[in-house]
Amino acid sequence: MTSSTLTRTPDATAPVPETGGGRRAAGFALRKLGLFVLTLWAAITLNFLLPRLMPGSPADAALAKLAQNGPVSNATKAAIEAQLGVPTGNIVEQYFAYIGQVLTLDFGVSYTFYPQTVSELVSTALPYTLVLVGVVTVVAFVIGTLLGVLAAWKRGTWLDSLPTLAGSFASAFPYFWTALLLLFFAGYVWRLFPTSGAYGPTATPNLSFEFLGDALYHAFLPALTILITSLGGWILGMRNTMISTLGDDYVTFAEANGLKPRTVALRYAARNAILPNLTSFGLALGGVVGGSILVERVFGYPGVGYLLFNAVTNQDYPLMQALFLMITVSVLVANFLVDILYGVLDPRTRR
Amino acid sequence: MTTEKTVVMMHPTRSKPLRVLAALAVVTASTMLAACSIQITSAPDPSIPDDTMLVAADNGSPLFERNFNPYMVNKRTAAFYMYEPLVILDNVTGEEHPWLATGYELPDPSTVVYEIRDGVTWSDGEPFTSADVAYSFQLLKDVPAFDIQGIWGYIESVETTETTVTVHLTAPDVPAAQLIGTTLIVPEHIWKDVDDPETYRNPDPVGTGPYTLGNFAAQQYTVDKNPDYWQADKVAAEHIILPATNTQLDVATKGYDWAYSFISDVDGTWVAAGNKNTYWFPPGGTIALFPNLTKAPFNDLNVRKGLSAALDRAAVGDAAAEGYMEPAGQTNILLPFQQDALDPSIPNAGLLEKDDATALEFFAQAGYTQQDGKLVDAGGTQLSFSITTANGYNDWLKGVQEVQKQWGALGIDVKVDSPQPAAYQLALRNGEYDFAMGGTGGTGSIFRDFNTLLSSDFLKPVGEEAGNNFERFDSPEAQAILDQYKVAIDPAEQLELGYQLQQIVYDQLPVLSLYYGGSWGLVSEAKFTGWPSEDDPYASPKTYESTPLLVLTHLKAVDDD
Repeated sequence: MTSSTLTRTPDATAPVPETGGGRRAAGFALRKLGLFVLTLWAAITLNFLLPRLMPGSPADAALAKLAQNGPVSNATKAAIEAQLGVPTGNIVEQYFAYIGQVLTLDFGVSYTFYPQTVSELVSTALPYTLVLVGVVTVVAFVIGTLLGVLAAWKRGTWLDSLPTLAGSFASAFPYFWTALLLLFFAGYVWRLFPTSGAYGPTATPNLSFEFLGDALYHAFLPALTILITSLGGWILGMRNTMISTLGDDYVTFAEANGLKPRTVALRYAARNAILPNLTSFGLALGGVVGGSILVERVFGYPGVGYLLFNAVTNQDYPLMQALFLMITVSVLVANFLVDILYGVLDPRTRR
Repeated sequence: MTTEKTVVMMHPTRSKPLRVLAALAVVTASTMLAACSIQITSAPDPSIPDDTMLVAADNGSPLFERNFNPYMVNKRTAAFYMYEPLVILDNVTGEEHPWLATGYELPDPSTVVYEIRDGVTWSDGEPFTSADVAYSFQLLKDVPAFDIQGIWGYIESVETTETTVTVHLTAPDVPAAQLIGTTLIVPEHIWKDVDDPETYRNPDPVGTGPYTLGNFAAQQYTVDKNPDYWQADKVAAEHIILPATNTQLDVATKGYDWAYSFISDVDGTWVAAGNKNTYWFPPGGTIALFPNLTKAPFNDLNVRKGLSAALDRAAVGDAAAEGYMEPAGQTNILLPFQQDALDPSIPNAGLLEKDDATALEFFAQAGYTQQDGKLVDAGGTQLSFSITTANGYNDWLKGVQEVQKQWGALGIDVKVDSPQPAAYQLALRNGEYDFAMGGTGGTGSIFRDFNTLLSSDFLKPVGEEAGNNFERFDSPEAQAILDQYKVAIDPAEQLELGYQLQQIVYDQLPVLSLYYGGSWGLVSEAKFTGWPSEDDPYASPKTYESTPLLVLTHLKAVDDD
């Protein structure tokens, strides 16, 4: 959808904005911005507090791992703490140091993967997740929404029941289970696809066709998993709003005017019915940054989700904080943009 | 695993019909799977030649970082195949193998003289000398973060000659010689130019070991045989491949030659996958219940005896380790491989049988009797406590649940507390628990096994972190024996003192031994033979630390036979 279509009045039933709407819109955006900043601060602060409320330190987590292999010496904890650079100072000092770090985007050194810095780790993992989860989210949204339109338009026929049923069936599986099933059959039994990694074991990431092909081949099963499990939601969401929109007077009016069915379906009904799906899409895009923890874990895919899993299980505070913050900020930004977009699309929300 | 919980949280609002559908789908699919009962078979990558081993030893995050600094916790595992210690101690047999040192002597209990091996070169061709050893020790002093074993807690000063390195200890301490000898040695001519060793990732390692770094990629690296290795004729594998992700399915299906991992139903999975797969699970330590000896009633020996007599250790071991591990004797000695160190006067090799009648007698002496199926004290209060174990250690949890069942049958109210590993570790160190599941022994050094378990040196009040002796066993008698052991040079005297320590553990039950913790060695004999096994237990089958050097210099290529 282009921006020009969006700025045109999308809803035939929506009231036309009154004069002075521009100033009101600006006020609306400012209010939203203030709320955004406040939420962000709360998120950052919670992000700081939560890990510190948990009992046991990262050094304890490391020791627990070592102790599984036999007794560790008395000096070990001190040496591990020295390696990890455990935070010093009282909690207030730590808090301000942390805020300073957040503002300068410096998240320090990871505890678990010492001596790598958090930025190093995140910058290696983020591209994989953005491409894998991002592309699949867009593809799933587009295909799912179109299928939903089709299902609603042809309701009662097999074009309705097949995608609706298949969609609800597939999205009803826990998605790690779908992942395991695909991994087991396509990966191990039929040996069609690689079972782990983002590219061949000895390949070096570059922009050659050979490498990109290899990367796509490795991304296929995780992508398919996310596609299968998320498609149903888009289909059902679109189908249901579309059906109620189809009952609206202006659609009947358009039909009665003898417009082409395709025009009625897409330009009159679908364009209005898409609003709720668009909200979910914004949020889903915000969530992309967090990766798809279990899918990445099952397929050993080196994205942010896997990194987050490792960070949480090892109490790697700096890494956890950076990742949570990234997720929070991206969801907040997506939320903010959707809010603004709604304000543009539907003047009633600005009041 | 924790993963399931995460999924549930992610789909908090799922409508009811969908849930029914989901349940239906799960049932159908699992029935389908069960009906087919697909057997996974091993299909090795044909591009991997016969002189190359595929080993599951190193896990990426999931990508590898090129860190071969041998003193860092997060180094690549293969750094252990590149950097060697003076002495290798095998923790299964307790045997000491002279390595970069041809041996060591203690002219007196506070002086160790290591004889440095001649004719060893670094992988860049420079000769290995006693100066490298002294430099490595000094490095651990300059960078305390590297001194994970805490050797500078024992060392006063270091002196070298052309062929020896003499370490003067701060106090008489014979067992320290072994500990110091396990330090990995790095080349002075390279490391002296490193500006910031504390964060140095040593991307191009130069060591004395059997392997040097080959190709490095973030998802897999290889190491190549060092042609100038000082025992190159004993190294059969020309290359070793180490992938970053080694799931259990990968290990079973991709033709791995060596892995270290507990795998459920090992005969039905690993062995049945083919490729001449075998396994060996020798004991790697004792899994025990640590009572908090600062608390009543666990400080009462009769209570401990009662609890011990009520334990069916074999059943606990079976529940925890699928029957792969034997029940452990109450001696802190690993059997059968450390049989020589076992006090022959201890009946039944220290293994205690379950006997509820005896248990009740001990409880009666401690003032507890059974009433209405509950074990109560004189005031009528039921004996009640919790066992702390780490969340996610499923084997331990299953063991604890079996203990809970057995003690529960006598009328004891046992609760299970399983915090996250870090919180568990902290509770153990702080002494803030009633009973805690934990590992003991298995270092290979009889002295260290008993010292970490019993020494008063570690005693700290509850609430302060103890480095070891988490149960807070306070016995001047045991400490006197340990002090004597520390200065004993004569092996016969050491053996005798070891017997006395076993007697103390057997009689006073500072911890209740349950079963042996396993070392999970999975190996394939398709390309290489001579793996450590029950018949030839020359080393632990683990893939990390220095003992793999014993294995890597012991294998034979099948082709050469």
